[in-house]
Amino acid sequence: MKRLIFALMATLLLASGPAAAQTVGFAEAIKILSASCGADIEKYCKSATLANNGIGQCLAQNEAKVSQKCNADRAVVASLIQERLAAQAAAPKICTNDARRLCKGVKEGAGHVLRCLLKAQRSVGEKCNTAIDLAGYR
Amino acid sequence: MKKLLLAGLSAAVMTAAVVGSSAQTQLNRNEIINSLQGAQQKVDVSADALQKAAFENIQKYPGANSPQGVPLWDKLASLRQFNIEITFDFDSARIKPESYETVGLIADALHTPYLQGQTFFIVGHTDAKGDREYNLELSIRRAKAVREALVTTFQVPSQYLFAVGMGEEQLREPSKPDAAINRRVQLINVGYR
Repeated sequence: MKRLIFALMATLLLASGPAAAQTVGFAEAIKILSASCGADIEKYCKSATLANNGIGQCLAQNEAKVSQKCNADRAVVASLIQERLAAQAAAPKICTNDARRLCKGVKEGAGHVLRCLLKAQRSVGEKCNTAIDLAGYR
Repeated sequence: MKKLLLAGLSAAVMTAAVVGSSAQTQLNRNEIINSLQGAQQKVDVSADALQKAAFENIQKYPGANSPQGVPLWDKLASLRQFNIEITFDFDSARIKPESYETVGLIADALHTPYLQGQTFFIVGHTDAKGDREYNLELSIRRAKAVREALVTTFQVPSQYLFAVGMGEEQLREPSKPDAAINRRVQLINVGYR
């Protein structure tokens, strides 16, 4: 049941594209992989590791053998992770004006400006708040 | 001393014993953030120095079990930290699929502005079964495996993460050296660098 919900959620997110009001965190994304591909990973990818997309590559190489569910969800997981990373890369740019307006004098880098924007949520513009949500920062 | 050290550890002790793919883990991202953020003091312990001290501890106190922990370790006791169970293959640094979600949660936490820009030690620990030097080497490989997964799959900036292995030199439960509670990966916030 849970698997189904995740798969559905993932499909919906992918179908709705960049306008979606939500992205999925890294934990949620990779959970799909362990649920859908866990058995196949243990069977066919005994020497592959999570680093450098080793698991993803191994599953791709064994495409013919792994379950259909795993083949389908492998791509979903990769996109979900990419979406979250893209949202995180986009947030500071989208929030430039709000940061200039609300976080004067706050040190750049190391998350300082973003922390300021999180605190100032009520005064922050809708676009920036949405970007922060998509990035999974709240 | 050990008692003190244990008391100093973050109270947020978790057992993400995820059995099978559908089991629920109690761990969530905010728990990790709350345990790791804030209250930073200056500590000038480098990951290299700590690693070296662990090897030296084995030379200094040889034998099956160490009568004493690593002195340098005490400097980290008051820092913000969090213990996490990550399961690996037996005698291996390969993270099991059942722990993927846990690694993802660490990534979620480290990406937030609350923890961005701060430096973390990823410390691997084993129980006291088996050879100490072997355990130390294994824990180094495991800590590195977690770091690599975070850096590659989840793109946590590499300059903020240092992998250190402590083997069985810093048991969490010294009265039960072989117990599973000693096997853990510990995140320690060593502050802005």
